[in-house]
Amino acid sequence: MSLLHRKLQNIVFNSVRSISKLKKRKILQDESSFEVYRIKPKTSTTHNKIYVWGMQETGALGLATSLKVHKHGLTTMKKYPKRMPFGERFEVIDAAAGYGFSIFAVEPTEEHGNYTLYGSGLNTDSQIGYHKHLGIINKPIELLLYPAPIELPMKSPDEIHRVIKVGCGRAHTVVLTEQGVIFTLGNNSYGQCARIIIEDENYLGSQVINRLIPELFENKRIKDIACGQDHTMFLTENGEVYSCGWSADGQTGLGTYNNQELPKLVEGDIKKEKIIKLSSTGDAVLAMNDKGEVFGWGNSEYNQILLDSDEQQINVPLHLKYLKNIGKVTDIAAGGSFSMILNDEGNVFVWGYGLLGFGPNVDFCKEPKLIPPTLFGRNSFNPQNRIISINCGLYHMAAINSDNDLFMWGRNKFGCLGIGHDNDQYFPFKSLVGAKVHRVFCGVDHSIALCKLFI
Amino acid sequence: MITFAMIKPHAVKNPVALSHIMQIIKDNNFNIIRKSRIKFNRKSAEKFYEEHHGRFYFNRLVTFMTSGEAEVLILERENAITKWRELLGPTKIFKCIYSHPSSIRGLYGLTDTRNACHGSDSPESVSKEIEKVFPGFYSEQKN
Repeated sequence: MSLLHRKLQNIVFNSVRSISKLKKRKILQDESSFEVYRIKPKTSTTHNKIYVWGMQETGALGLATSLKVHKHGLTTMKKYPKRMPFGERFEVIDAAAGYGFSIFAVEPTEEHGNYTLYGSGLNTDSQIGYHKHLGIINKPIELLLYPAPIELPMKSPDEIHRVIKVGCGRAHTVVLTEQGVIFTLGNNSYGQCARIIIEDENYLGSQVINRLIPELFENKRIKDIACGQDHTMFLTENGEVYSCGWSADGQTGLGTYNNQELPKLVEGDIKKEKIIKLSSTGDAVLAMNDKGEVFGWGNSEYNQILLDSDEQQINVPLHLKYLKNIGKVTDIAAGGSFSMILNDEGNVFVWGYGLLGFGPNVDFCKEPKLIPPTLFGRNSFNPQNRIISINCGLYHMAAINSDNDLFMWGRNKFGCLGIGHDNDQYFPFKSLVGAKVHRVFCGVDHSIALCKLFI
Repeated sequence: MITFAMIKPHAVKNPVALSHIMQIIKDNNFNIIRKSRIKFNRKSAEKFYEEHHGRFYFNRLVTFMTSGEAEVLILERENAITKWRELLGPTKIFKCIYSHPSSIRGLYGLTDTRNACHGSDSPESVSKEIEKVFPGFYSEQKN
């Protein structure tokens, strides 16, 4: 038995040796005949890794490919950031996180059929387009587990619009293309899709994608869009703001508390100002001009817009003069019950109500308060460290520092902070993303990060 | 004892939230006596919330309720009113998510108006609200 074994071993060994000899000879003989496998690195100009975390049951993370796993409820939430395979196959330009769904704008490629927009998650209002079950069940799909392409209505079959910006609300999506064309899809019960409200419209399985005509904006070119839960704002190249949608808290800033169906120019204190950024997630809005001044309107029940006032709803933009001492503002983020700004020294200020990053007491903060920069990694070894961008969801906050680390804190709804557990986080904490984070998008209960590799 | 419950439009549109809320109702031994989907219009929503008339959030509440279909339920259980309100949690979502994180509103409420569910607060309001949504329910019961 052992003899046979040894014989066998010899044969194997000899054959291995003979192959290696052959190979060596081959190398010595002629290098060009040797087949060389070159790993083709994907030359991505934008971001080549996407991480997602939070509530997975709605399909917003676009990770699940197996219906069986999903049906058994094994995939409720992802507490750790998970790399999304979708990000490797496509070059993602922009993304947006809504309530239970995500939208991705990708570079069109021939092999994937020149689609420029993908969406995943809840689709009960057709906020990610019309998708039908295959086979016998002739029903629209309510829940997409993996990003599916959305076909945008074009004037001719050859027309391809590269999407540059996407925005998501509670149940609507707004898309801006390079040519300045805007598409809206999803729920329009308040006019947030910038079209006339139709009484008793059925949004489930609706195939309506609205292409806005430039006359709505007096032929001005739109360069940015921002969505609250149920309203939409458009920013023109000259820094003017148009808005439409729900205005029960005055969040359209049009001086009215009624729904606005078609986009209308916002005036008030931002008239003649060049606005460069808009931010809204709930019903409060912040806007920033080119001089670094901040304006606000909408819901102020938790003193997130006005500090010492009982005014709870503001329907006209107001200049927030109390931010004078903070210096030039470079980034803004308006949450559900709080506001957040970043100044040119890279310091973050927060005010309003909630877990704002000042310890475990949930309390009102009646004036803009500095979050200690040490919490974001500034220390004597690394004095240049500063925050470069901020973002927030309804109840949680996010900040990216100059080392491209992502810090998150606040209410950890369904694990949306990505810190490995689902308990609330009282102070900024580095989330566990294994890459350099460049942009982060916070939904209601999930988050998306566009990242690059460490090397 | 019966109570009146309503699942608000944004939670009805989220199948994950809706199925979880129905599961909570089942787990807490509530008997569902009536269940239907209704769509409020401006007039009926104003009538339903007439006790809030004149408050600053009244217009917000009414326009929110008319934005989509709501699921209305009549639930039966011992101590139904208090139990259902206990499961719901406080009305103000931004405070509720910290004080009652595992309540229905703490899980599926979004903002103070989009607060997932409604529950009657007293036996009088139960009969009032049922009469508005299920007209003829009490007369049927007598027969």
